[in-house]
Amino acid sequence: MIDTLAVIYGLVMIYVSATNRIKTHIKILSMQGILLFFICYFALGTGSFYTFVFLAFETLLVKAIAIPGVLNRVLRGKNIYLSNDLRIPSIYSLIITSGIVFASFIASNIQSVSLDPTSKLILSVSLASIVISLFFITTRKSVVTSVIDYVMMENAIFLLSLTLSKEMPIIVSMGVLLDVFIAVFILGFLINKVSETFGQEHGNALRMLKDSDDD
Amino acid sequence: MVLLVILIGRKWFCNFATVSYSLLCLVCSGLIYLLPQVPAAGMIGQLFQFDGLNAYFFFVMSLVFAASSVYNIGYISASERPQQEYNYYSIGIIGFVFSMIGALLSTNMGLSWVFIEATTLTSAYLIYFSRSKHALEAVWKFVFICSIGISLAFVGIVLLLIGAGSHNSLVYKDLYSNALKIDPFWLKISFVFYLVGIGTKMGLAPVHSWLPDAHSEAPSPISAMLSAAMLNTAFFMILKMFTLMGLANLGFYAKILMLTMGLLSLFVSAVFILIIKDYKRMLAYSSIENMGIMAIGTSLGNVGIFAALLHLFGHSIIKTSLFLTAGNVQKIFKTKAINKVSGILKADRLTGWLLIFSFIGIAALPPSPLFLSEWILLKAILAKKMYILMPIIFVLLTIVLFGMGNIIIKMAYGQKPTTFKEEKVPIGILMYLPQIILILSAFIAGIYLPQFLQNMIGAAIAALRS
Repeated sequence: MIDTLAVIYGLVMIYVSATNRIKTHIKILSMQGILLFFICYFALGTGSFYTFVFLAFETLLVKAIAIPGVLNRVLRGKNIYLSNDLRIPSIYSLIITSGIVFASFIASNIQSVSLDPTSKLILSVSLASIVISLFFITTRKSVVTSVIDYVMMENAIFLLSLTLSKEMPIIVSMGVLLDVFIAVFILGFLINKVSETFGQEHGNALRMLKDSDDD
Repeated sequence: MVLLVILIGRKWFCNFATVSYSLLCLVCSGLIYLLPQVPAAGMIGQLFQFDGLNAYFFFVMSLVFAASSVYNIGYISASERPQQEYNYYSIGIIGFVFSMIGALLSTNMGLSWVFIEATTLTSAYLIYFSRSKHALEAVWKFVFICSIGISLAFVGIVLLLIGAGSHNSLVYKDLYSNALKIDPFWLKISFVFYLVGIGTKMGLAPVHSWLPDAHSEAPSPISAMLSAAMLNTAFFMILKMFTLMGLANLGFYAKILMLTMGLLSLFVSAVFILIIKDYKRMLAYSSIENMGIMAIGTSLGNVGIFAALLHLFGHSIIKTSLFLTAGNVQKIFKTKAINKVSGILKADRLTGWLLIFSFIGIAALPPSPLFLSEWILLKAILAKKMYILMPIIFVLLTIVLFGMGNIIIKMAYGQKPTTFKEEKVPIGILMYLPQIILILSAFIAGIYLPQFLQNMIGAAIAALRS
């Protein structure tokens, strides 16, 4: 079951590269939160009850509801539907993300590591998702889309830390700490402040600080 | 201390809190070397310990903090801001320094990671203190880019644990003793993620883009601490990971990566310093250049590491003096634009001379200690027979020297701008004294490297190898 969920997670990342509707991206964040919840449920079935409740809170409440909720609130009333700031056309983006997924699968299977096949699959998908998210962050200019891509990277890192969850639960807690920091600080404060100060054109307005006057 | 700042909530107490905290750090950093070593006890003792390496970094950080906090008294007092903002500012400084101390003293890589993440949070408010649009953009870039970096460093830690298999401890001592048992493939990938991640905090190119904005928009004492303390803390964490790579027989791989990022940092600084329009951004690019030099020194091993650690000391105290003096210039001319600043020597003689002497220090001209460190670095390059590297570094350093010299001389000499208004600027003795002490200390160290400093660097290198 975990394998199926991990594969769905990977396919969702490829789907993100093919669409440029911001609302769809936010819905995908919620979907990733729910996928992560079920992966935690099946992966930690025999683990500590309190650890499970903690992780369920993190995945369902924070990732699936709170973070997408804040992003929707920021977008409300701004009439931003499309991410019109792509540096690379969607078709090329799709090809590149597919290549990243392929490379990630090769990398995690080429080396013998003491991980069971399910953990290897999660490792492949999470590494691919991290690199794809970084790719999105560098190819988009808008603040809101950058934050969405960053949250996707956080979700992928959380998935990565699940490969070690049984041996090293503290590492998952560190991942959760990172999420809380992002949710509270970046989303809760900064993005609202940036939107208020720079308005709808914040993607281009956040380029005032320059080294020379030529660009 | 934080509670007292909130409860008392007066400007004088905010200044007292930061200065007394800085002096406490300075005294402790000295006592570490003077008092006999006592074995660590209890949980706190297991999680945080002093050794030769972090004691040296702590000492340098304390010097920078002490100078900045004394300067801050005069700098902030002149600004008219609500009392609550001063309270948050002081709390931010205390939290920022506490986070850096935590990152330095942690015996656990994961705990160091948590503290270095905390430095991003605590310094964000400080960078945004002026509340301008530019400051908001700077803090946004700082938080966003550094958060990505921290996340990548976390990925590096997770991959390290995957490679470590059953030896899954993040305590440095355990990692070092099990270095040869870690899967080399995962360790290499882990190092790449970790170096890029923590390298973002260190300001190494190509992940340096937040640094010029944050350093130029922050208040000058905060810029000094960002440049001369936070970057060093990130360098410390990279050094620890670099040591692990050496123990795992992957030292050559790590050296190539450090050398590449170091050269790239030098190149980026050389290019941008020629087109810069803002003198605080110029100082920020100089920080990137010096971080590059330290990365190159580390990649050379042994003598190179000695040069890097000496360079760290010299750069920290001279860059602090430069940023604090830049704060005076900004107060006098009310601008950071280079083309609107000239005749500093005529406007404020002491500030002008401090700027010139600080420039001599950062340009690695004798008697600056940076001259010594760069000399040792170049000798180490020759000893390794890396003959192609030497002219490249030499040319890049010369370009940076030319770029900075051109700007500083133009700013210091000549006539005051026609738009300059002669008015009494509130620059008290506390906004000169720290720079004077720092520059004098730097030049004395450059002429005669004190034995205690040599011993400290020696102890730091010995701690790296143990």
